[in-house]
Amino acid sequence: MYGRKACQLVKELASGEKGQLTLFNIDLIDQVIAECSQHHLELQSLIRKMQEQGLDVQTSRNADHYGALIHHLALVRNKRCLMAYVHNRAEVIQSLIWKVGPILPQQIEERLSHSEEEYFKKHSSALKSYMSRLELDLTVDMVPPKDPYIQVRVIDDIGEGIVLSDDKTANFAPHSMHFLKRTDAEQFISRGLMEELTG
Amino acid sequence: MEKYYDIDDIITEEETVSVIFQKAASGVGIDPSSETDFVEVGSKVEVPFWLAHELQLRQAISVNVPTCFNQKTRLEIQADSACVDLRSRCPYFYEFGCKIASTVGDRTIGFLLLSAFKSRYKEVLTKAHTAALTATSRFSMILTKEETSLYEAAQSSMAAFKKWRMGGPRFQRASVLGRKRKSTD
Repeated sequence: MYGRKACQLVKELASGEKGQLTLFNIDLIDQVIAECSQHHLELQSLIRKMQEQGLDVQTSRNADHYGALIHHLALVRNKRCLMAYVHNRAEVIQSLIWKVGPILPQQIEERLSHSEEEYFKKHSSALKSYMSRLELDLTVDMVPPKDPYIQVRVIDDIGEGIVLSDDKTANFAPHSMHFLKRTDAEQFISRGLMEELTG
Repeated sequence: MEKYYDIDDIITEEETVSVIFQKAASGVGIDPSSETDFVEVGSKVEVPFWLAHELQLRQAISVNVPTCFNQKTRLEIQADSACVDLRSRCPYFYEFGCKIASTVGDRTIGFLLLSAFKSRYKEVLTKAHTAALTATSRFSMILTKEETSLYEAAQSSMAAFKKWRMGGPRFQRASVLGRKRKSTD
């Protein structure tokens, strides 16, 4: 049935957890585009047939007209599915910078297509230049903290010699605990490398 | 048009309906029973809703009421709406019902949807707040997509309320990274 593959593509978006990215399915997209080209060819041949019979393409309503109409509708439908696929992924990618910061974790990066990576880079550099013009970091937590420092535990390998905002370096060995400035810790927590300790 | 990029809307419109062609159409392979690429007048074909809707507007076809809104389902909903498995009938029962009602011109579908939703909604809310997680899996199997999102919304708002009351860490691992945590050892 027409438009089945395109709908599969959209279903792939829906089947994942909300806000999660799946692997960019270039194979299925190519198949849908091939289906579109096929529709286009058949549409053209039907129109040509009508012209050869000397009919007015605009007004005549014969079998060829309805055939062409069905191909046209299938094309429009496929376009909508493709657009929705790309659009919804782009929205998730835009939100990434707010959630995980300007450096993408590898597990996300490998699911993006090349142009999506480019989009992420451009979006984050645009945001960065806007924030530097405002002289305000917009990506920090919206709720004012009660204490500017928090206690955190390192749960993943971060690496040594991370320079913090007060120009000191810290050694974040796994499972070590630290007392850090909130703003320093935030990006590590959101990337899943540290967890906040309470109580 | 405001729903152009809406995933749920797109999937709803993929739902098939059986239609009868009033006009012939050539060069299309949508009728599996015919051997040529030609759809005769009067042939009965299953087509997705997005196609049926547009063809109906041009009076090329007439649309039959889909099976998920037939008399049998209606009777079941009247009997005990909370236990009817709507998901297997049509995962977007309400959205699809709204769309199909204007297409087939059946005014009773609206009342059916309203009464089904009203009685099931109560059940969804109470279960979302009270039932334990293990007991809900069977219940959530019969919910439509719309009801599932309501159910999840109720649960997450309850969780947010509990978190607010008890306090907890302000920062969390970003949800895009997924729930599963790879072991680092």
